[in-house]
Amino acid sequence: MDYFKKIFKESIVIVLISSIIGLFSGTILSSSEEILYSFPIILLLLPALNSLIGDIATVLVSRLTTHLFIGSISPKIEKSNRLIEDFYGLLLTLCISIFSLLGIGYLFAYFTNVQIVNPTLIITILILTMIILFLFLFVFLFISSIYLFNKGKDPNNFLIPIITSLADFLSPTLIILFIILFT
Amino acid sequence: MERQDSKGKIIREVYPSEVVSIIGSLAAGIILTLLILPFQTFSILIIIVPALLSLRGNISGPFIARSSRDLIIGVFDFRNWLQNVAATYALSIITSILIGILAMILNLTVFKLFIIPHYLLILIPCISMLMSISVSMPTSTLLNYLAFKFGFDPNNVVNPLMTAVDDFFSVVSFYLTLILLGVP
Repeated sequence: MDYFKKIFKESIVIVLISSIIGLFSGTILSSSEEILYSFPIILLLLPALNSLIGDIATVLVSRLTTHLFIGSISPKIEKSNRLIEDFYGLLLTLCISIFSLLGIGYLFAYFTNVQIVNPTLIITILILTMIILFLFLFVFLFISSIYLFNKGKDPNNFLIPIITSLADFLSPTLIILFIILFT
Repeated sequence: MERQDSKGKIIREVYPSEVVSIIGSLAAGIILTLLILPFQTFSILIIIVPALLSLRGNISGPFIARSSRDLIIGVFDFRNWLQNVAATYALSIITSILIGILAMILNLTVFKLFIIPHYLLILIPCISMLMSISVSMPTSTLLNYLAFKFGFDPNNVVNPLMTAVDDFFSVVSFYLTLILLGVP
């Protein structure tokens, strides 16, 4: 049972913390019930938006960790060509993916009769949210990876579970905040 | 290899997996919008949903990563896999109970919506999570095995595919649990 114990011991704390962050996201959604009923497309797109930013952030952490281990990024908070290349590569991937997501999402909504209200505003808000989140996560994950690496820890083990929940929390929060601000 | 990755290579490798992931997650969104939104208890249920969807990344994701790593480094065997499964079930049950208890406390202190008995707020995440990981674990193991057998790196192929499968089955399991427990 050594493998069982190892998995359980290493995972339990971070999984519990992530679940608590997840409940905060739920609280924000529940408090904004009226917005969800007014713009049901938000609820349709939300799991995909969370997955998208979570996946991009996971790729970023994995790549940063590999760069740090093989030495193509020095463990200092400074600009490098490798970092700039990763930044633009992932930002472009995110932008293309957002447009695909919105295109497929609105098609799904059209064919399943989900009410589409003020699409220009909602699309602007969703794009703005994803780009702001990406910029924030890029800086946060870069600094955290350097810090953890310098402490002798593997950034993958700590940052991947936490970013899933952080992205799940931050995306509905920003979307709802922007809807309140712009409507 | 990593050193020579250009912007173009990153886009080519990540984008196709993202499209699969987006389609699965949108299917989950449709179920949420069409099937969960009409429930009278929606305002309580929505507290639990993001926490359950996060578990997909936090519990199922590491399970997939451990299985693919074991396959790649050549230590994958039935005994190890069973321990991996048992640990994943144990983590899921403990976390689901915690989610239920915290949702109950939030409802008692903040929302004060007494539409369903409180014990259901613990039963819903537990049953729903057990259902979804019971689909996720064998599916991801099979995909890992097939990816490995056909010469792909399971790390690159299986995770995005399973994001789609997990998102979809998490919401389906959630809906089935509500029906099973007769939640209004």
